[in-house]
Amino acid sequence: MGLRGSKPTFDDSSNVVYFIQIPLRGLRVPNLSPFPLKLETYLRMAKIPHESIMISTLSSKGKTPWIRHRGKDVADSQFCIEYLNKQFGVNLNEHLTKEQQAVSRAILKMVEENLYWVLVCYRWFFCDPKDLGLAQSFPWLIYAFIRRRVRGFANGQGMGRHSPEEIFQIGKLDFKALSDYLGEKKFLFGDQPSETDCSAFGMLAQFVFSNIESPHCALIKKEFPNLERYCHTMRNTFWPDWDQVLKGDASSTKL
Amino acid sequence: MRLTFGDTRLLALAAGAIAVGVVLFLNASRKQRKRKKLPYKDESDTVYVVQIPRGKKVPSPSPFPIKLETYLRIAKIPYENVFARKFSSKGKIPWIRHRGKDVPDSQFAIEYLNEQFNVDLEAHLTKEERAMSRAFLKMVEENLYWALACYRFIHDDVRKADYPSVIPTWALLLFGRRIKKYAWGQGMGRHSVEEIFHITKLDFEAISDYLGDKKFLFGDKPCVADCAVFGMLVQVVFNQTYSPHNALIKNEFPNLERFCWTMRNAFWPDWDQILAA
Repeated sequence: MGLRGSKPTFDDSSNVVYFIQIPLRGLRVPNLSPFPLKLETYLRMAKIPHESIMISTLSSKGKTPWIRHRGKDVADSQFCIEYLNKQFGVNLNEHLTKEQQAVSRAILKMVEENLYWVLVCYRWFFCDPKDLGLAQSFPWLIYAFIRRRVRGFANGQGMGRHSPEEIFQIGKLDFKALSDYLGEKKFLFGDQPSETDCSAFGMLAQFVFSNIESPHCALIKKEFPNLERYCHTMRNTFWPDWDQVLKGDASSTKL
Repeated sequence: MRLTFGDTRLLALAAGAIAVGVVLFLNASRKQRKRKKLPYKDESDTVYVVQIPRGKKVPSPSPFPIKLETYLRIAKIPYENVFARKFSSKGKIPWIRHRGKDVPDSQFAIEYLNEQFNVDLEAHLTKEERAMSRAFLKMVEENLYWALACYRFIHDDVRKADYPSVIPTWALLLFGRRIKKYAWGQGMGRHSVEEIFHITKLDFEAISDYLGDKKFLFGDKPCVADCAVFGMLVQVVFNQTYSPHNALIKNEFPNLERFCWTMRNAFWPDWDQILAA
């Protein structure tokens, strides 16, 4: 699965941000994990020069994605964004009021710490493995191993202790909150996108574009169509090369 | 006196018999404790809230029983506390029992009670405010909770926190080890002490900025998110007063302390009376 080739060479003297993501290229999304999609959308939104590298090397925190910039490795997508904001003088939330920035953080956390686990539980426990939507298939042994570990994580976090119906209900309430807050706006906070749009898109794209067989996708189409509309808006605005990215190989792509 | 082979065998048998006896005794005591009947009257409309006993500084060292009880008080739903170390079917506490039905998880309990008693603490909110209310609820319970749990159980000595004396130290330390494992799987446990403090500060800032000068999060009437925020913040403001989080609130987010006092005075006028002696 993915490239396990030689270590990539980084040019630590340049200002390019090396964006390292695990090779989980989907059939219908650039990455099956929402966090690489979030971070790459941010890099595009902020117009930060970056080079995307797909390798199986996880961060120092054992997760994906991470970045390297001028010889410094930064793990965790949110810490990456905070670091890059400082380095490149970026503030995608500048146009928000103080209250909107507060709401922005609350929505970010709801999406990444709650809705994320709804996605995880669906994919690893309730979804047919053939519907995962990976561009390259998983060896079954690795799938079973990861699934066992994820079960432990989900139980510890709490979501894994609920029934499938309860988890679906929790997901529905999160979708409703996002849908009601978005309303008819182009982005979450109006006509200009902000940081949290990257995260919301990274997560929603998994349901809307990747797991199209899921009851969550059907729910969004039926009851929260503005979320689907929103995903297309984000995709068309920041990923005009979406289809090329999906067709491309898993080697590094310069942007 | 030299022990013969026969003596050694006899000693081993005796040690084995004692070990088996101890195990059987402990098992019997455990079953005896389980069989101890809890005082439910399933024919009444009373809601039984099963939670761990009171602390000396806060009604509960856990934020979720305080959230649930504050909701019950705001909604004026008749309830009775059952203080016991009896975990729900999901292995957690608190949980409720109503008319013979057990409902685990504080949020599912609230949704169940909303239906049973025709309550809606968010009826006065607009559609967008309800959405924001859910977002704040989830930020507090799925993010801030883990940051504060890491501080209490991993970075600091958990014995300093206000736990009822019926919970022995070894149980707290064992629970702390479990929290460490859970927090690593959840993600928060992979960050450094400084990073977790930074995350906590950003969450406090978001709540403080949104609350502003308002009495409650969304104005003059409280909602479920207020109960969740209150349950979480009292752990910092009233329980772990020695923590750097307490100093952070006092120095940078004083409206959060003001909010805790507002909630406490409004819905817990008996706060001092109900605490453990």
